Amino acid sequence: MATLADGSVTVGAEESWELPKNRSRLSQLGRLARDNPVGAIALLVVIGFVILGLIGPTLSPYPPKELDAGSRYLGPSSSHLFGTTRFGQDLFSRVLAGARIDLKFGAIVLVLGFVPGTALGIVSGYFGRWVDYLIQRSGEAWAAFPQLFLLLTFVAAFGPGLQTVEIVAAIGALFGGSRIMRVVALVEKQKEYVVGARSTGASEFRLLWRHVLPNIMPYILVGLSSVFAAAVLVEATLSFLGLGVSPGDPSWGADLSIGVGAGSTYPWLVIFPGAAISLVVLAFNLLGDTLRDILDPRLRGSTGPRR
Amino acid sequence: MWRYTLRRLSFLPIILIVVSILVFVLLRVLPTSDIADVIGGQNATPEQKAAIRARYHLNDPIFPISFTGSAPFVEVQKNSQYSRWLVDALRGDFGKTYTSQKSVRSEFFRRFPASFEVVALSLLFSVILGISFGIISAMYRNSPIDYFVRIFAVFGTSIPEFFLLSLLIIIPSYLWNYSQPVGGYVSIFSDPWTNLRLFLPATIILGIGGSAGLMRLVRTTMLEVLRSDYVRTAKAKGLRQRTVILTHALRNAGTPILTAIGSAFILVFGGSVVAERVLSIDGNGLFLFQSTFSRDLPVIQFLAIYTATVVVLVNLVVDLSYAFADPRVTYR
Repeated sequence: MATLADGSVTVGAEESWELPKNRSRLSQLGRLARDNPVGAIALLVVIGFVILGLIGPTLSPYPPKELDAGSRYLGPSSSHLFGTTRFGQDLFSRVLAGARIDLKFGAIVLVLGFVPGTALGIVSGYFGRWVDYLIQRSGEAWAAFPQLFLLLTFVAAFGPGLQTVEIVAAIGALFGGSRIMRVVALVEKQKEYVVGARSTGASEFRLLWRHVLPNIMPYILVGLSSVFAAAVLVEATLSFLGLGVSPGDPSWGADLSIGVGAGSTYPWLVIFPGAAISLVVLAFNLLGDTLRDILDPRLRGSTGPRR
Repeated sequence: MWRYTLRRLSFLPIILIVVSILVFVLLRVLPTSDIADVIGGQNATPEQKAAIRARYHLNDPIFPISFTGSAPFVEVQKNSQYSRWLVDALRGDFGKTYTSQKSVRSEFFRRFPASFEVVALSLLFSVILGISFGIISAMYRNSPIDYFVRIFAVFGTSIPEFFLLSLLIIIPSYLWNYSQPVGGYVSIFSDPWTNLRLFLPATIILGIGGSAGLMRLVRTTMLEVLRSDYVRTAKAKGLRQRTVILTHALRNAGTPILTAIGSAFILVFGGSVVAERVLSIDGNGLFLFQSTFSRDLPVIQFLAIYTATVVVLVNLVVDLSYAFADPRVTYR
């Protein structure tokens, strides 16, 4: 019996025992979800977040930035699901719009930071030597400092604004991604299929691209999940501090910080934006945790959020 | 061990020089907008801006050495912003803040007690919380309390501290009209009650944030240690459970836990910026935040040096403490 690279199993003709029924992809997925209910719920929340981020604004009952002096500080009701802010804006519409801001932000961070970080980590783990040394040491130096101090120093250099936050979060994702993928590549390069492919004369590039990359795809998803969670957290924190989105833009962090002032009288102004951040970050973290547990307990502790 | 400590400490100046150069590159070489605009405000006339530039030597070259296209490729400048800063810094003078024209060093020391108390109390709380619940969770594996601890650890790393802090301020106020004192640092020796009330929310929330990772780690290490032969032997010879757990198991789980306490410190230290901002505690976290807003370069440069020093020292203390937890560890 041999396990092929894509996970399917071939059995020699002389082996006569009953084969397990070939389950459909869907029922396999169902079984996985039953074994990991927390991960399944997290996945649903993540999917919901992505869908709301894409189509949210078409669902929102009011324009998120529309001011209405006549309806300030209204409590949650059927016409204003999450109540209204001190400027009379509909909080539900703003929270929906916030999902789009974070989805876009996360996507930018993934493209600018996580993708090159993954490539860097794989190259670093696969080829080793001084490249590995350099990347690892600078990653450690970055991780040694309190994250917020680093963020603030960068904001001081480039000035407040969402673009600065994107750059800084991307640097964090670069190091985060490379750290996770390096470990994976280190393990992967020892495996038989790599040696096998090399012995057939495949070039190193082809080996990495056609053989190693598809095999470590699930680990990339783990990294992606935790990096996305960290990105949302960074955006929320800096917008909360007033260093992220421009004033008035419907970011969850910014809305929360505006709400705190009147929060003891109108607590929903704090609760809804805060719950949105927590739910999304929690879902991405739990999804990453679940995937990691399914894949490989050895990686435990090498991923996870950092602040 | 003393020789090892000295050798590690001898790296500190090198690290600080590297950090200061990096911060200079970041703050003075890269910025997209003119610092003189930021200090002078939008209405500053060109003359005022020129005066600002002259006053803070912003026209000088940034580094004493610059590279040129022709031989000898290196040019040495006499008066550069960096050399001026370095010479002053070595004398213990870190300049004046742009915004208030006060000495950066004395402003830092004025705010230090408040920041120190935030970090110290939060770290203490997170260590107590993390270790005790980690042990309990490992002892009663798969019991309700274990599940609670595990859920708590995941929530603790996912829910942003500023949200929890805001809730901790508004909920008592909404329900019982309790008003959280904000700002105004009162020494713990002159008025302990007001002092503790000021720091309580920060301690609870930063403590929870710092303890989550620690809790998880204590649990996994203890689970491993509790399975080992010497713990079974200790139990079998009739030692009290407290002795078995605290002196046999915990001591042997020591080194990874110490590392995790180091990480908890860094988390709490970083979180103090948010806590001081939300609670208006006039500490160095708030100092950094305000200086970021106003682009107060001398302050940011100084706080970067301070942070690097703290990070290096904490890592050194963690490394040295391994020797106390595990006598087999020796440093030469």
